[in-house]
Amino acid sequence: MTRRERVRACIHPETFKYFVARDDVLDTWSRLSRAYGEPVVADGFGVVEIRHPRFFIRATRMLNPITVIRRRHCTDADVQAIHDLLGFRPEDCAA
Amino acid sequence: MTAARSLPSIDREQIRARFALSYVPERHRRIIAGQEVIVHCHHYNSRIQRTVEGVADIDGKGIVRRASEQAFARQIAYAIEETDDEATRWVVAEELFAELGYGRLDLSKANEGVVTQSAGHFVEGWGVAFGDDRKPVCTLAEGFIQAAFIAIEGQEVEARETECMHCGADACSFTVEKTGAAAEVPAAPERIEGVSMQEHVELAESNIDDQAIINAVVGLAIRGTEEGLIPAFGVYLANTPADVYNGIAIEFVEEMSKLGRMESATRLLNEAGESCAMNTFRGIMDSPEWEALIAPMLQDQSDTLFALVALSNAFGWGNWGVTDHEPGESLEMVSFNGYEALGFLESRGKASEAQCWMLQGVSAGMMELVYGEGSFADRFGTFFVEETDCIAKGNSVCVFSVEEA
Repeated sequence: MTRRERVRACIHPETFKYFVARDDVLDTWSRLSRAYGEPVVADGFGVVEIRHPRFFIRATRMLNPITVIRRRHCTDADVQAIHDLLGFRPEDCAA
Repeated sequence: MTAARSLPSIDREQIRARFALSYVPERHRRIIAGQEVIVHCHHYNSRIQRTVEGVADIDGKGIVRRASEQAFARQIAYAIEETDDEATRWVVAEELFAELGYGRLDLSKANEGVVTQSAGHFVEGWGVAFGDDRKPVCTLAEGFIQAAFIAIEGQEVEARETECMHCGADACSFTVEKTGAAAEVPAAPERIEGVSMQEHVELAESNIDDQAIINAVVGLAIRGTEEGLIPAFGVYLANTPADVYNGIAIEFVEEMSKLGRMESATRLLNEAGESCAMNTFRGIMDSPEWEALIAPMLQDQSDTLFALVALSNAFGWGNWGVTDHEPGESLEMVSFNGYEALGFLESRGKASEAQCWMLQGVSAGMMELVYGEGSFADRFGTFFVEETDCIAKGNSVCVFSVEEA
């Protein structure tokens, strides 16, 4: 089960790190890539990132946890869609 | 990268190549298009603007606009090449604005009196920090547009934002009115370099590999995307000329001093720095960048503070370091070339009082962030800082002494 932790002082107040089950990490990134575009590895710190008009999706090279930063035009439906891809169900978690 | 809207033959990638970063390692300076730029994030930038514009008895927007106009006119003029036709010059201005991380301006109809903006650093920053304060917030863009007219047309104009995305508009809109006066690119102040020497100061040791952090930041492309924003470290960054920050702070203090409120002004500037340390650095500490490179270096709680100092050096704030530190109790820092002290010295000459308002606030804010408990509000003001020496006063270095309040 995917759980999440809030990230403070970020671009969007509703920013979270999602901790995906270890054996589902690669499949999760495959789903995210299909939905939001191929990840790129940034120079310098080697952060893996997908930049999409609705989200910034980011992780270290370990690929987990996955930080999801909502952008200005992100809607509730967008959030529901990415939660489905991440295997996250808010009702299962207190965070 | 998309072609120019009105000028499809202009290669914007080639224009962007003019803005390649030059990093000066011995001084920790970042230079883009001839200007020393400082990396700050949307938290600090929106807060410092709100501080200056929020005082009722002074023209805060005028202060921000003037500082932007002066510095950006020099930077745009530097980036323009003699062989550029007029259309190319406008594209240079658009791309410089985007490269620095302020957003995406459309200047194709500027000469008809209309400018629009489809993404904005300050729109994003105010949206996070001051979401309920609904008024146009793109004052720096107004100054930038005025600067572009000076650099490209040699004309004085007044640019004013009439609609802002922060207030719910689909795009920001600006009107441009020509005053009829000619305007020249203002001369830069005479620069002061190397006023102090690091080898005479012994820095405290930690488990942090400063150089690895600096190399990683310098290797990171801190440049605007096509929409002109720089999402990195979980925040929006921007490269702002030091002259803009200095112009804003110096004029703000001077205007407030005329009202007998100098102490309030400097306290407000301190608070912006303190807030910067807590919000910006908090965001950075939660980012994958921190997790990837810096977290593995941390052995003691104090290492976090040393890592933050290394990051700020790489951001071009100047070359500063920790000379003495009692974890949770006190901190002494020395700055060898802080942009605030040098900026004051360059534009006003020797000062009677210390001038590093941002670094003062950041020094206290870092202690509150690393050792404080509770919410940011609980931590605010729990450490007191005094800048005992300042290069602007004629001292060889700036010294910041932080203790529990």
